[in-house]
Amino acid sequence: MSGREFFQDRYKQLGWQLKEVTLRQAIRLNNANSKGKNLIDRLSALGVQLEKIPFLESGYWVVDSKVSAGATAEYLLGLYSVQEAAAQIPVSLFSDLGGKKVLDASAAPGGKTTQLADLMDNTGAIVALDVDKRRIVALSNHLERCHVANTAVYMLDARRAPTLGMKFDRILVDAPCSGNFAADKNWFKNRTIKDVERNAGVQREMLTKAVECLTDNGEIVYSTCSLEPEEDELNMDWAIRALDLEIQPVDCIGQDGLTKVFGKLLDPTVARCRRFWPDQTQGFFAAKLKRRQSA
Amino acid sequence: MKAKVITNFAATFEIDIGLNPDLIMEKGGRYYLVNAQLKPLVRADFYYAGVYLGKAKEGKFFPSFNLLSMLAKKNANRIVVDKKSAWLFICGRDILPKSILRVYGSGKKHTNVLVLNEFGECLGFGRIVGNLSDKSKIDELAVRNVSDVGDFLRRER
Repeated sequence: MSGREFFQDRYKQLGWQLKEVTLRQAIRLNNANSKGKNLIDRLSALGVQLEKIPFLESGYWVVDSKVSAGATAEYLLGLYSVQEAAAQIPVSLFSDLGGKKVLDASAAPGGKTTQLADLMDNTGAIVALDVDKRRIVALSNHLERCHVANTAVYMLDARRAPTLGMKFDRILVDAPCSGNFAADKNWFKNRTIKDVERNAGVQREMLTKAVECLTDNGEIVYSTCSLEPEEDELNMDWAIRALDLEIQPVDCIGQDGLTKVFGKLLDPTVARCRRFWPDQTQGFFAAKLKRRQSA
Repeated sequence: MKAKVITNFAATFEIDIGLNPDLIMEKGGRYYLVNAQLKPLVRADFYYAGVYLGKAKEGKFFPSFNLLSMLAKKNANRIVVDKKSAWLFICGRDILPKSILRVYGSGKKHTNVLVLNEFGECLGFGRIVGNLSDKSKIDELAVRNVSDVGDFLRRER
C-alpha cells in the first residue's frame, strides 16, 4: 500500500486535498549572537532580501538572494541559521526555557538544538542525543558555529535515554519520521504504509522513554514532519491513555489536530495539537504534553 | 595540565587566557570548556560538551573558532581588514598590507594574529609574514592564512 494515489486518498479522507507546494527557504536569527549587529541590513547589503515570517519570533523567509544564504560570513559566524519555517515552531512551544535542564532526544543536525540554546540564552543545560555518527559530527559543527555553550552531546539512541540517569524539565521529541512529499520530491515513490507504521512504533518507544526522564512538572514537545496520522494524532491519543499524559493548549498557528481519523474517534484534547498541511510551510505536526495532574 | 595546551596557544597571541582548569574537559585530544551547570551532566562517554576549544594532534594544537573569538575578546594580537579582504580570507586567501585597516598588538613577524572583519568579528587567524603597515609593498603578503571560518563549509564537503 503505497504510491501517490494511495496517500492522496488518505489525505482526502482526512479532509485535505493534496496540492503541490513550493517551499520557501527560511532563516532563523540567533539572537544571542546577532543582537545589536544590524543583521537584516547586513544581509540586505549582500543582496539577501528577507521577509519576516509573521508567526515566528526570529524567522524570516528568503525572498530573493544573490548569494547562498548558507555561505555568507554572517552564517559562518553563527549570526543566523538556515531552518525551514515549520521546523522553527516546536521549540517555541516550550514555556520558560531559561536555566532549565533540557533533553533534545533526536538532535542532529542541530537546528532545533541551537534554537533551544538561543532561547535559553546559553543558560541551563541541554543534553542532545543522536545515534548516527555522521549526523553527530554535523550537530557538533552546528554547535561550534553558533557558539553554543550549554550543550552536551551523546551518541545514544533516545530509547536508551533513561540510562543517562538524568531528569529533565523540558524534553524535545522531534521524532525521526516518514517525512512528507513537500520536502522530498520522491516521497510518494519511496514510502509505504509499512514505513509509517514502523516509524509510529519507534516514536511510541521514544515517547515512553522520554516520560521516564521527565521531572514531575516537566514539558514534552513532540513533533514530526509527517502528515500521516499514525505518527501524529494517533500517537498522541495513545500517549494520553498509555503514558498518562495531557496535551496542553498552545498559542500557535496551524490547524487543530484531527479528532476523527479514518472513522476512529480520538480523545477530544487531541485537537490541541497543531497540524500543518503543506502550504506556507512543509507538512508538520507538533504537540505539547505534560504529565496528567491528579485532581 | 589540561589547560596548558590552550594557554600555550593563547600565549602565541601574547595573551593570558586565564581558563579554570577544573572546567576544561578532554576527550580524544579534543578540549571543551564547560560551565558549572553543564559539568554534572557530562559523563565520560560524552561526544561534545560546552564550548569546543580545539584539538591537539601530533604535538600541534588546532584551535576552534570559539577559542579564537574568546581570544579576540581578550584583546589578543589582531588586525581588522576591509570588507573585500575579509571575504577572501574566509575563502582561504592570505592578507595583503593594503587591506589592513587597523593593527592591535605588537605585529611582530612570525607571530600569530587574529583576523577580524570591520564589525570586529573574528574570522580566523594567520601568521604574520610581512610588514603589516607598509602599504607601499603591493604584492607582498602581510599575513598567511592558517585557519578561517570558511572551514565550516569545507568540512561539509
